[in-house]
Amino acid sequence: MKFVEKIVTSITSHTTNQAFCINETYYSYADLISEISKIRSRISTGIPDSEKLIGLVTNDDIQTYASIIALWLEGKAYVPVNPDAPLERNHKIFELAEIRSIIDSSETLIYKDYHSIASHTIPKTSVHLKPKTFSGEDIAYILFTSGTTGLPKGVPITFHNVASLVNAIEAEPEFNLEASDRCLQMFELTFDFSVVTYLFPLLAGSCVYTIPKGSIKYFYVFKLIKEKKLTVLTMVPSIINYLRPYFSEINAPDVRYCSFGGGALHSDIAKEWSACLPNSKIFNYYGPTEFTVYSGFYPYHPETHTKAHNGVIAIGTPQKNTSYLVVDVNNKEVPLGTPGELCLAGPQMTPGYWKNEEKNKQSFFYRQENGMDVRYYKTGDLCIKDKDGDYLYVGRVDFQVKIRGYRVELAEVEFHAKAKSDRKVNMVVVDILNTLGNAELGLAIESEAFDTQEIFNHMKTKMPDYMIPTHIRFINEFPHSINGKIDRKKLKEYFDIK
Amino acid sequence: MNKEEILSKVEHAFVTILEHDNFKLEDETTANDVDGWESVTHMMIITEIEKSFGIKFKLMDLMNMNNIGDLIQTIQSEIQVA
Repeated sequence: MKFVEKIVTSITSHTTNQAFCINETYYSYADLISEISKIRSRISTGIPDSEKLIGLVTNDDIQTYASIIALWLEGKAYVPVNPDAPLERNHKIFELAEIRSIIDSSETLIYKDYHSIASHTIPKTSVHLKPKTFSGEDIAYILFTSGTTGLPKGVPITFHNVASLVNAIEAEPEFNLEASDRCLQMFELTFDFSVVTYLFPLLAGSCVYTIPKGSIKYFYVFKLIKEKKLTVLTMVPSIINYLRPYFSEINAPDVRYCSFGGGALHSDIAKEWSACLPNSKIFNYYGPTEFTVYSGFYPYHPETHTKAHNGVIAIGTPQKNTSYLVVDVNNKEVPLGTPGELCLAGPQMTPGYWKNEEKNKQSFFYRQENGMDVRYYKTGDLCIKDKDGDYLYVGRVDFQVKIRGYRVELAEVEFHAKAKSDRKVNMVVVDILNTLGNAELGLAIESEAFDTQEIFNHMKTKMPDYMIPTHIRFINEFPHSINGKIDRKKLKEYFDIK
Repeated sequence: MNKEEILSKVEHAFVTILEHDNFKLEDETTANDVDGWESVTHMMIITEIEKSFGIKFKLMDLMNMNNIGDLIQTIQSEIQVA
């Protein structure tokens, strides 16, 4: 696999460079090589060739990152679980992916029913970096995102998918990382945006700066920008919403690139933020997990490139080998300037949801183009293509929302809220904006007030923290629209959180 | 304003944002000790405190704030300036 070979070439030709800065400790590429070799030795001796999907507990340490590379050298996939997420959810993920072996760098191993590799206690071994021969159709990782049925939904991404992403980014003349770059990695490894924040720096021999668990993320990001003079930032827009009251104190002339993704970037804040980064190019990336992180971008510039729709910056054009299509409910292309669902085609597309034929039938379709059947993925995002060929984001076609960049299906939260309640009352989860313009979840309950402790305790065993509603309102009678549906827009007005 | 008065206003900000009062704030209290106090709610609590005291924190101070004691101290020095 070509991109895996490229990783090896890069890490072996930058051995004296720093590869990671984790909680104030630096690890060189030589250190990384040593960790990869150690972990790989345990994988190749302890896990059969036929076992391809391996669980990975995502701690913030060098072993966790080395595990990803070690697995890839062996042609195996990582299936990450966040140690801070509910144990029950993580077990469910392992069960769905039929995991038997787990790599875990934690002090205490808690997944007793699995074959665990304790990655921080392996004695030194000889260096072994030559990748095995394997197929591009093999899976490189599976990420589980929020699903509407109460079960997490698996998105497998193949080595060929990742190689296509690398290929598309390398073809982009506006973005070139160098070995001297210092890059921010602020994402959980269970979140697909993390793939570009560790993979691209490693391919360039630059240094990755992570956020320690338990720190106040937003201030730590600023601390790294200021004290470590980061040059490459990759972030979700909610970060700058939280930092916005302090923009006047931020001046980061070292930043060369700032890439946004995982949510709508608003014009007004983009303009203010760009003033904090006087020497930076700003990219507004778009792309779902199903399409291997990025599918295209808009090159924002506060004077020359400010295209927006309803105050949301354009998502621009598709990148190399990717095509966009805007369709109506019958999957037929709509005219320019007409809103429709954005569909993507190209080599970065997942082979399909993990063991979920029903969902696959809904989300993928074939279309005849030049005598060929082209497979498209339906993103659920409403977009408009304008006369310049740029795509503009309009909204969602369903009840999926973004909380701090994470996708959340409101139906999944409602499912778990109702599951433990013996009162047969109506519950609806809505997304509401706080004073800083970030979305939070509100739980509306159609009832007199009662103690919700048990409901929340239950939800916390089922869902990660970003999916737990932060506001509750009891409403005697839900507002309804004229056609009898619950009026979610009206319901939101009950949550006066400003 | 003495320390007790400041603490009581700070507690009020926590209750407003976290929507529960199941905690006791002391100098050594950190985010690990209070249910729901994490990155996002921290930002909301800070905004709420700024509002109720009529002050504006500096990013540099917020960056190095590790517990309730640090927070109270920073509020005290901000009030003096104001």
